Formats: sequence, C-alpha cells, structure tokens
Amino acid sequence: MFLLRELLAEIRIATAILGLRHDPRLLKLPPYLSALCILVGTVWLLLLPLNEYSRQTYVSENALLPGQVHTYFGGSEHNIFRAYRHEVHALEHKSAEERTEKFVELLKDCGLKVGRQKYEYSSAGNTVSGENVYAVLQGPRADATEAIVLIGAWRNMDNVINYSGVALVLTLARYFKRWSLWSKDIIFLLPFDSASGSQAWVDAYHDAHDPLHVQPLSIKSGALQGAIAVDYPAGPWGHRFEKLHIVYDGVNGQLPNLDLFNTAVNIASGQMGIGTTLQRMWHHSDSYRDRLMTMLRGMLSQGLGHVSGPHSAFIPYHVDAITVQTVGDGWHDEMSLGRTVESLCRSLNNLLEHLHQSFFFYLLMQANRFVSIGTYLPSAMIIAANFTITSIVLWVQSGRPAAPSKVASTSNSEKEKAKEPDLTIVKEGRNVALVPAAAFEVIERHLFLPVGFIATVHFLGLLPLYVFNTAPQATLKASFTIFTILTLVLPHAFSQALARIPPQPPTPQQITLIQSFSLLLLGLFLSALATLNFSLSLMIGLLSTPFSFVRPSKSPILVGLMNLLLAAMAPPVVMGGIAWWFGKDVGELLAQASFGWHVWGMWTQVVIWLVWWPAWVTASVVAIGALY
Amino acid sequence: MFFSFLLCLFFTSLAYGSDYRERLLLRPLPHGALLASFNFQSNASSTSFEQQNFRYFPRSLGQILQHTHTKELHLRFSLGRWDAEAWGARPWNGAREGGTGVELWAWVEAASDKEANARWLTLTNALSGLFCASLNFIDSTRTIRPVMTFEPEGSHPPNALGNLHLLHGNLPHEVVCTENLTPFLKLLPCKGKAGISSLFDGHKLFDASWQTMAIDVRPVCTGDGSECVLEMEQTVDMVLDIERSKRPRDNPIPRPAPIEDIRCDESKFYNSHDSCMPLAKSTEPAWSLQDVFGRQISGACPLSDANDAERVICVNAVPERTFEIRSGAAQRVAEQVAPDMRCTALPSGPEEGLDFDLLFSDQPLTPPVNLTRPRLHAFRSMTGHGQERGGIEAVLRNPLSQPVSLVYMESLPWFMKPYLHTLNVAVSGNGNRDFQALKETYYRPAVDRERGTHIELLLEIPASSTLTLSYDFDKAILRYTEYPPDANRGFDVAPAVIRLLPNAADIASTSADERQKGVYLRTTDLLLPLPTPDFSMPYNVIILTSTVMALGFGSIFNLLVRRFVAADEVEGATLRARIAGLKERFRSKLQSIWARHSGKGEKDQ
Repeated sequence: MFLLRELLAEIRIATAILGLRHDPRLLKLPPYLSALCILVGTVWLLLLPLNEYSRQTYVSENALLPGQVHTYFGGSEHNIFRAYRHEVHALEHKSAEERTEKFVELLKDCGLKVGRQKYEYSSAGNTVSGENVYAVLQGPRADATEAIVLIGAWRNMDNVINYSGVALVLTLARYFKRWSLWSKDIIFLLPFDSASGSQAWVDAYHDAHDPLHVQPLSIKSGALQGAIAVDYPAGPWGHRFEKLHIVYDGVNGQLPNLDLFNTAVNIASGQMGIGTTLQRMWHHSDSYRDRLMTMLRGMLSQGLGHVSGPHSAFIPYHVDAITVQTVGDGWHDEMSLGRTVESLCRSLNNLLEHLHQSFFFYLLMQANRFVSIGTYLPSAMIIAANFTITSIVLWVQSGRPAAPSKVASTSNSEKEKAKEPDLTIVKEGRNVALVPAAAFEVIERHLFLPVGFIATVHFLGLLPLYVFNTAPQATLKASFTIFTILTLVLPHAFSQALARIPPQPPTPQQITLIQSFSLLLLGLFLSALATLNFSLSLMIGLLSTPFSFVRPSKSPILVGLMNLLLAAMAPPVVMGGIAWWFGKDVGELLAQASFGWHVWGMWTQVVIWLVWWPAWVTASVVAIGALY
Repeated sequence: MFFSFLLCLFFTSLAYGSDYRERLLLRPLPHGALLASFNFQSNASSTSFEQQNFRYFPRSLGQILQHTHTKELHLRFSLGRWDAEAWGARPWNGAREGGTGVELWAWVEAASDKEANARWLTLTNALSGLFCASLNFIDSTRTIRPVMTFEPEGSHPPNALGNLHLLHGNLPHEVVCTENLTPFLKLLPCKGKAGISSLFDGHKLFDASWQTMAIDVRPVCTGDGSECVLEMEQTVDMVLDIERSKRPRDNPIPRPAPIEDIRCDESKFYNSHDSCMPLAKSTEPAWSLQDVFGRQISGACPLSDANDAERVICVNAVPERTFEIRSGAAQRVAEQVAPDMRCTALPSGPEEGLDFDLLFSDQPLTPPVNLTRPRLHAFRSMTGHGQERGGIEAVLRNPLSQPVSLVYMESLPWFMKPYLHTLNVAVSGNGNRDFQALKETYYRPAVDRERGTHIELLLEIPASSTLTLSYDFDKAILRYTEYPPDANRGFDVAPAVIRLLPNAADIASTSADERQKGVYLRTTDLLLPLPTPDFSMPYNVIILTSTVMALGFGSIFNLLVRRFVAADEVEGATLRARIAGLKERFRSKLQSIWARHSGKGEKDQ
C-alpha cells in the first residue's frame, strides 16, 4: 500500500514536470541556473584545499621502495665532485664547441658511450641552436630494453649556468659506472639549454624530430622509464641550499605520474631530511591560504601549458619526469643532493613496469597533499555546462513565437490586447478545449545565417593563430596592438554588415540562434578540454562567463555597459593585462608562445584563438547587434 | 682475422677422435674487462648412441633427442650485450651465442609438417624440464621455420635431408640464472667438480657484463661418411668486469675509496686537499682466477683426453702481460703457441697437488691485444610513440672496405602487425643513392593468436656504408586475459638474427668447419608497449553498472508491468467484502484441519 502511494506520488511529480514544460516560468529559470553553475564551480574549486576534500599523498607503486636503500655517494666522491665543478666552471667562457668537446672527453673518461646531437630551431624570427651531449651507461643487469635519463642542462630555465648541476651529473656518471645493480641503462644528458635542448633530444630519441633542424641520435637505448633533471646553479665555491623545489609541469599541462613526485618528496624529506616545496611557494605554512595559492599557481602553470624545466619535454612521450631544483640558503650541500638523486635513480631502477599505478591527473597543494581528477573535475565541467544550458534554452526560445514584446508595447490598450491571446477550439472525440493559438503555431528556424556566421568567426580565428606564430619578434608587439584594436572594432563591423547586407537585417530569432550555437560550441570544447587540460578549460570558462548572460537589448545604456564589460574581457585585452600584471613585454610573451608552438608543440594558442576569441566576438555581436 | 684463424687452429683440432675434451680461453679486453670462453666437447659414436650406450654424451639429453627424432640441436641462454666497439668481433664469430633470453633451433626428422610440429612440441617441453627454463612457452606463435638464416652444421646423409625440418623459437623475456646453470653443469662428465668447469660459480657468472651458454648437438662424419659421431659442444662465453668481480662476496658494495687511495691529477690548478680529479688508470689490474671466479681450478678433469691436456687453458694477451702459474706444488711455464697466445695444462695427479691458479700481477699498462674488427655493426630500435602504432629501425653499418651480403631475420609476435609496404631499405654513403640493397624477401604474415610474423631479407651493403632498414607496424589490442601479470612493462620482441654470408675471400681463408658454423650477429631485444587496460577498472565498472542497473532497471520495470488502480476502484475493497474474505479463509482453514483429522481416523480404522 505504501509502495503504491509512493508510486502515485512519483507519477504525480512526473506529470507536474511534464506540465512545467509549458510553464513560462521555466524559461526564466536558466540564467539563474547558469549563474548557479558558475557559482558552484567556483566554490567547488575553493573547497578543494580543505582537509575534507584533499588527500594525503602516498606511494602507490610497491616496486619503487623510496628511501629504502643506503646511499653511498660521499667521501672521496665529494673531492671528485669539486674537481668536476672546477672543470665545468672553467668552461664558462669557452666556445660552445670547446665545451662540447670537454663534456665528451669527461664522459668518455668515465667509460661510457658518448653521443652528440646538434639542433637548430627557429621561431618568431629568432634562431636557437645548440649541441647536446649524452652518454649511455649500459646497465650490467640490463638488456637494452629500458633506460632512465639523468639531465643536467648547461643553462637552467632562468638562463643561469647550471655549474653544480652539470658537475653533479658528471660525478654521478662516474660513480654509477661502478655499480653492478643497474637493471636499466642510465642515460646522462647534458642539454645545451633547458627549453629546447632536451626537447630536441627526446624528439630524436623517439624519431619524431624534423631531420632538417635536429640531428638524429647516433646511439640509443631502450624505452625511457623516467627522467630526473638536476638544477643547481652554484658556482665553483658551492652554495648550501635550504630546500628542494620539485618542478613537475609538462608541456600542455600534462603531468608526470604522481608516484614519481611522491618518491622524490619521500626521499628528500624522509631519507635526507631536506624540505621540499613546489610551485615557487618558498614558504608554505600549510594554511588554507597557502594551499590555495599553491594550487592556483599550479593551475596557472598547467593552463598556460609552457615548459617549466628540462624535464617538461619528456612528459608528452609518456616518460615521467621531474626537475629537482635547489632553493634558498640552508645547510644542505651538494652531497645531499647527490644522494637524493642516487636514491631516486635506485628507486626507478627497481621498477618492474612503467609507472602506471598512481595518478596522472592531479592538483597538488602541498608537497604531500593532492586532489585527484575525480574530485576536481566537476568544477570545470559544471562551469562548461553553464554554457550548454544557456545554449539549449536559447535554442528552445528560438523555436517559440516571439513573446508579446515588452519593448514594443507602450500604451495601455496594447497591453490589454496582449493579455487576451488568440484562442482556438480543439476537438478530440467528444472533448472540446480552448487552447491559445500560439501553442499550435509552427516556427521555422532560419539556420543559414547563424551557421554561416559562426563558421566565419571561427575561421577568422585562424588569422591571429597564423600571424602570431609566424611573425618575427620585432613586429609582434605592433601586430598585437593592431590586432587588439581590430578585435574591439570587429563586433561593430560585423553588426553593421549584418544590418546592411541584404536581404534583411537578422531577426531576433537568428541572433538568438547565433548565440545558441556559439555557446553550444564553447560548452562542448570546454568540457572536452577539461579532461585534457583542466586548468586551461577552467580559466577560459571563467573568463567566458559573461557570454552566457549577454542578451540583445535596445537600451543604449545597457548595451554600453555590456560592451564595456565585454571589451574588458576581450582575449587580447586580457592577455595584455596579464602581461602588464607580471611585468612582461607582450611581444616577448608572444615570441615565447610562438617558440612553444614550433618547438614544444604547445596548443594553448589554439584554444585561445579558435575557442575563446570566436566566442567573445559572437557574444559582442549579440550584445550590440540590436543597436544597428 | 688472424685471431679467428688461431681459434680455429685450436678448436677445430678437436673435431674428431677423442671422446671428451675441454678448453678455456682468457682474453683481457680494454677497460678492465676479461673474456672467458669455456668450451666442452663430448662425442658419442652414432652406433653407441643408437644402442643407448652413453658414456660422455649425457643420457638425459640423448634420450630426448632420440625420442623426438632431433638430428641437430642448438640451444642458447644469453644475458647482456656484447660491446663490439670495445671488445672487437664476437667469440666463435657469433655462431655460439643467442639473443637475450633463450633461443632454440633444431632439425627434426619427420614425414610431414604436422609431425614435425608435434615432435618440436615434445622437444621444447622435454628441454624445458631438463634446463629449468620456460621453454615450454615456445608455442606455435613463437615458432618459425627459417629459410635462409640457418644451415645445418652437422653432416646429414643426403637422403635424410628432405625429411629434416628446421624449427626455431625464442623466449626473449626469459631471465637466465643459476637455475639454468646447474642442469648445464650436470651434462658435463666432470659436473663442475674438476677441470675448468670447477670455475663456474653462479654469483660470478651472472654478474658478467655479457654471458651466453650454448649447447650444440650435431652429427659429424668422416670424409667418406662411413664413420659418424654425435658431437655435443657446450660453450660458455662471458665478459667479466675484473674490478667488479674482484669485490669480495661479503662486501660487494662499491663504496667510494678513501681519498688517500685515489691518485689525483696534480697538474690541475684546483688540485688541493678537497678537490681531486682522479687520474686515468696507468696500470693493469692484478687478478687471479681465484679473484675473478671466486674459485680455483681443482685439477684436470680425469675423463678428458690425455693427448689433448697440454693446451687446456690459453691466455690471449700480448707477451708483455706476464702471469704466474700456481699449479699445486709443481712449477709450470706457459707454452707460447702463437705471438699472442700462451697455453698451459692443468695438474692431473694428486702427487703435485690439484689446485691451479693463474696470477696476473699489477704492472704498467700494456698495449691491448690485437682484436679482430667486427665485420658488421647492427643496432635496432623502436621509433614513434603512443599506443596505436610504431616503427622499427635497424641500422646496419659495414665498416670494412668490401661489400657484405647478409640475411636479416625477424620473428615478431602476432600482436605486432608490420606493414610490408612500409619496408624501406636505404643505403647511405657516397654513390649509393640508387643501390638496390634488398635482394630477396621472404615474408610469412602472422595469424592472430596462431603464429607470428616471419621476415627474412637478403641484403647487400656496399663497402663502408650504412644500411637503414625501417618499417611501420600496428599494435593489436589483446584480450584482457592475454596480458601477463606485468602488463605495463611492455612485451619483449625477440632480437633480429643476422647471418653474414661468406664472400670469396672468406671461403679461401676459413676452414670448412668454420664456414659451416657461419658468422652471426644478433641485435638487442626491444620492448613493445601495448595499449594496456587499467586492470582495477573492471571491478569499479562492474560494481557501478550493476548498482545502476539494479536501481534503474528495477524501478522502471516495476513501473512498466504494474497496473495502477485507485484504491476505491479495486473490486471488493469495501469493508464487507474484506470481512467476507476473512470468513472464507477461516472456513477453508477449519475445513482443512477437519479433513486431516478425519483422514487420520480413516487410516487408524
């Protein structure tokens, strides 16, 4: 009986919902729903640093056994390290050719197989060239199927010479050669610089390089299992450091397996007693604020998708990699760093399988706290969903007869008239009903103009993508300024054109459809992007939120306000603002982006110019279109 | 070339005649490495073999061969890589080594292919038991029938050749270890108790940089074919790192040496109490058999041929490199048999004491022995990335000033699907633009889950040029039960086997026996990453979908099949009807009780 009552209640609710479909109140709801989505998405993100929503990190792969081995790097190795550091320091003023020769000689003295690789990249009219040196230690227990990479770039990301890092890699090469326990080959890589050297090397290793610009590798080993880069730019007299900064971001926001990061943190803090930090948070008090800050910095870095160290180039090839960087003034010396790297290599050497156990999608908020994709993904998805909801509503709206217009009605008599809708008599069998005629009106959607417009705007996005990726650096700033002005003028030009071009100015239905399609595409792109690069999707999603609420209006004040707001949110304006905020030159930023496009295979630009920019243009046209 | 000539001088002399003999060749290599090449030969005349009269030939193996009608057998266990750049040409011209893991090929006598396969299966299973190796995993997907790469080493009667089937299989992932050494030693007449085989210590043997164990059984006949013997050759070759092998077993950790023990380069400007650039080694390391192998030789194997005892141990080093022989109480001096070769015998009787050792002293660096240059360098690697497709690139470099012909053989697992149209052979080097390097192709495509791909290519590389061979392949998706426990490691692809065909000059300079054995080269293994499912996922998915199904399906099904009627519409829902219903039920119950009672009564009557 109880069940029956419940079912009846269910049916009643269902009928009520069906009835609601025709309720005019329902159409008023979506903007609030969209706003709610954005609010929930944002609040969701802000909740993540709380203890209840984030988790303590743990090492998932049992084979890694971080910090379980004794490290022996010390004693006379320290003297040898100092000698290598002097050798490396003496190369500072030598030519690149001489330096390469010296590295080859030093590595050959260790009894390793040495290879060299020249490369030359050009982007934005600049040419970057260099020569990588690498050596393969053939593991006594290895059969050339697997390898670990140890990287010491000559210059780090800040373009500072990495004396001690290179010297440490050389000393470790000599030291590792004596051990018989290596079950994987170890490749010691000395790239010419951090941003392009390791990229050229790893491309050539997988035979994915352009042979015109990058030399193939003369010797190779097996499948790469992991890479560790050492960044320790201390001069010949050394420098005692306080903490290790672990850099883990890859190109396009791809991340290494969390197990590798955890292993590094575990070894540094657990075995060596060295504090670890991440995302340039030099002081982390484990407060909500610091956690949020770390997470947001991580998201910014991920969203921009740029290279953050010599390790970044490895990650797109599914080779887990991190950079270990020394920071601050403390009491840890090069031997502690050496032992940390030794222990890390031993852990990677223990691996039986490619790192696969732990997370590949995560946000870190402290060295030992993270949230996984299951917890954070909804926030970007909900924000992306707000566009889809609005888009569906606009589609439904476009299929309805134009509501008795509020704008047009001025006199009372007309209002009275409007309140008495046309009624039709409907007969079905013996039943007769009076129904508003509007319910039977068939509305045709005129799709040609909206689809054509959306296609044109998206196609136009290719223009900045092409220009900013091919123009020489000197002209980038000027072209960016011109493009910003063009972007701000473009919606007006479009509206003018739409209004003038025969046969007739766009109907309100067409304008609604234009917005509907634009938002549909935006929602689609952003939700797909959220699974690949969560942070980028979220950032673009948040910057696009006004597009959901823009409606055509005839009120000049309202249009002016909307126009102002949209102009402030225009992609080039936002980019200029960000550059100004970080005190960078826009031209330089664009040159870097162009370098990223050509060398790293970065596709942040694609999202900006082919997803965000068209959506902005469309929203602006919708906002001001009614004025023309 | 000279060295291989010497080798053949020493080792071919043992082809006929005596029943058991053994040899050890020691050759110090650059960078503190040492090649130790052990060779054991036991013969059985074919008549005694057929009568199952075994003396030196191991009965366990002999019976397997008889049962499976195997006429010639080659079995290899290998570890590590041969470094041709530093160590020169391979021992035995590569004819006594295999690819990483286990490799087996045999000529089986059978009337049909089907019978041959059945006998091959029996053979692999029997050998699997004998050698404690997973040879039984060599199934049809890992077996091929090479066409050009291998030729019988033994002398088979011409009329029997038609019935001989060559089958070849390999297990690249098999890890060779001490468990394979023990059965190997048991096949020897002295079983590791005496003779050079007493040097075999699993710990040292498997700490080698490169190591291979081989068993070769072949019939050898005299010139007129009247008298035949079945020859079994057991070979162990290894390259040891002297410094590493010298470490005591109780303290094997290479701790940094005390700074006092390191010779620093004092010419460096930074040289001081805390900075030290170690000098390159200027002395030959001191070592002895005891240091390197962890044991001494305990006398000659008493079963070995007495006529052959003089040259059991040979050292292939420049004459400047001196060593001392400690042979029990007796004094021995090595016999100089060639400019770079000194040989000695083992103590054979208890009267002089059985312990035998060679002591190499610490001495200034001597020039390295003249190593034969390898005739071909081969390197194979995987190109591309991702889980869908990939490519293979093999680089074959001919360093000599004469062209070389070779057969390149690959046996690929079925889940690696090569595209033959992408096979590209390019020769670099001046004037080679239009050179047609590919002479012949033999290709047998794979059948899913039944057999792998088999490619054999006949190639020619011009003098001092490099040939690059490449092709693309697709990766198949396996069924989830087909993945091994370490699915994310990837799948091993067997090494490519390269056979160098003799040119006119070789035919003139080498012996017939050496020519029969051939010149071989193998590339390294490859690791093929396949698309791997997340194996914990199925559980999550099953649990989630079951819950959703149960909830969703249950309630929807319920809604669909039930008829909903308002309470007052139900017939008989009134109070009176209900009371009537209750009455009815009460009555029927009473009736049934009464009926049972009366039934009992009837029975009682």
